[in-house]
Amino acid sequence: MARVKKSKPMHAQEKLTFLLSLVPYLIERERVSVAEAAEHFGVDAEQIREAVRLIAVSGVPGETSTYQYEDLFDIAWDDFEDNDQIVLTNQVALDDSPRFSAREAAALIAGLQYLSALPENADRTAVASLMTKLSRGASAQPSPLAVEDTGSDATLALIRESVESGVQLEFDYLGARGTRERRRVDPLRVESMDADWYLRGWDHLRGAVRTFRLDRISDPRVSEQPISHSAADVALPDSLFESSADDLVVTVDVTNSAAALLADYIPDGAVREQLEGRVRTTVRVSHYHGLKRLMASMPGVATVVEPAEARRVVAEWAAAGAARYAEDAS
Amino acid sequence: MSLDNSAKVPVEERLFSLVLALLATENGLTKTEILSTVQGYRQDFAHTGDNANLERKFERDKDDIRELGVPLETVQSPGDPGNNQNLRYRIPRGAYELPTDIAFSGEETTLLNLAAMVWREGSLSTESRRALLKLRSLGVTADEPVLGYAPRVRVRDAAFDTLNAALGRNAYVRFDYLKPGEEKARLRTVAPLALVQHQGRWHLAAEEEGTGIRKTFLLRRIVGRVTITGKTFEAPAGDQTARALAELEEVWNAHTAVVQVEPGSDASTRLAKRRGTVAVASELHLHFSDINILADELAGFGPEVLVISPPELRSAVRDRLIRTAADHG
Repeated sequence: MARVKKSKPMHAQEKLTFLLSLVPYLIERERVSVAEAAEHFGVDAEQIREAVRLIAVSGVPGETSTYQYEDLFDIAWDDFEDNDQIVLTNQVALDDSPRFSAREAAALIAGLQYLSALPENADRTAVASLMTKLSRGASAQPSPLAVEDTGSDATLALIRESVESGVQLEFDYLGARGTRERRRVDPLRVESMDADWYLRGWDHLRGAVRTFRLDRISDPRVSEQPISHSAADVALPDSLFESSADDLVVTVDVTNSAAALLADYIPDGAVREQLEGRVRTTVRVSHYHGLKRLMASMPGVATVVEPAEARRVVAEWAAAGAARYAEDAS
Repeated sequence: MSLDNSAKVPVEERLFSLVLALLATENGLTKTEILSTVQGYRQDFAHTGDNANLERKFERDKDDIRELGVPLETVQSPGDPGNNQNLRYRIPRGAYELPTDIAFSGEETTLLNLAAMVWREGSLSTESRRALLKLRSLGVTADEPVLGYAPRVRVRDAAFDTLNAALGRNAYVRFDYLKPGEEKARLRTVAPLALVQHQGRWHLAAEEEGTGIRKTFLLRRIVGRVTITGKTFEAPAGDQTARALAELEEVWNAHTAVVQVEPGSDASTRLAKRRGTVAVASELHLHFSDINILADELAGFGPEVLVISPPELRSAVRDRLIRTAADHG
């Protein structure tokens, strides 16, 4: 199940949200194990225990303004300490889940809009009703934040169909080096990075896990071959772009304002030397075919410094492009 | 029990106790009642003397709590209107609790999990995480998805978080904006109306201060920091995001570029898949909203693309390629 981001320490506001969310859950469940609550909220068991200990001594000042016993939450302490079970035995002030804030609702609505290409979102009426619920469940009108609806994506629908029916997906794929091949793939996961979508799957041609850009896939179809690998039995590395020992290291100058556009290619711990208005740093690429396209799409803001071979490849690529206009004019 | 222990009460315990106390009160509590009785304040309350520090702490706490969508309200004392010392604070239950007729199915919960996963950095990520905690509160378990997804949008524009914060406050913002072709960035003061992502790029729809002229700014062209001013404006009626997206879509539809692509090349595969592209004989007709951005994109394809029209795009791409060749020569 998807998790609320783990391991990252919570700030006070997030901890408060957690407490206000946990209490109604505990009331509703009557009895629940620490492990189950941790799994449900996507947090560590110790975070649940800490929160329960705090809830158990919290309450309202009450008639006497002195937090008397009946003004406090209470739990079945023995069950908690001996069996790791949570049972609220007294509750105060809180019953139901809190509303979303205007910005929380807006973030989820915009996230749903971004996902409009997914087959799961193809039922626009259902998605619209979900957005209305978020909006009604917010304490104020969701803030004006939106992502353009891109429409359903036919390739994504086929990928899902292939997983659902347990058969391989096959398609023509144009590799970054310019070769086109028919590939047969067991889809494992679909990932996206901004406007680009990727399929990660077991590639039967290569006998290994490979990543495919959806916009380089053509003529996809669901085959009749059963899949041999599923997401449950292949460990996918977290990072979409894996570096390898064979990567080429290239020194580039990039203007400060455009440096973020290269962030994906700059390895962790790379030296960044600040020059006037620009940064000199290194990027890793698996071959120069990708580099020349990247550099040519950042004219005037990014330049390869070395090696000379990389400069030559970029210069030739751009010059060949420019030459087409000279030919065309004559 | 450690209630009277003077050891430092953690911030979340103080905030939690404040929310509980204000939910429990019908008529509201005065500031003095809060500071002298609520856990986390009362430990530091001076019955005689100055509580200025504690009052400042309370002001910050109120802001933090409201930011979570908790409707902390102030009510005038009926017998003594206008007297700030007698303002009463409370959280009305109906405005605090999620309406009981709102429920989310397992399938919807799965979708919302994915929607939250989209944002992994900055303020949108913090807000999505909080929204998910509230969703979990309802006890619904997400359906196991057929296919795993890992969506991700990076918000790389430094201006985003400040503008997102300004939206909720209806406050004018100021920033330097560099229009392509202009030498220097120019200072703008605008009323921010909506933040929308179109074709993978964030735009700010805004009204210029003074003239009231509606303009759209590309976040990546904002230079330096965005300042939120103290001056507020009245939010205009209507769905500002829908209007902003419709305007961008109109611009996108109004501009068409005609290009020739090398058959079987990366350019031919990818440009053909671009939204709205029409193939006419050996040419592709592409829509675009910003000529400079499209020129950068097309220049990346090098000799795989030849721009036929419009002439400004043709020369923009050619000039870029000549520039890149020269920079690497």
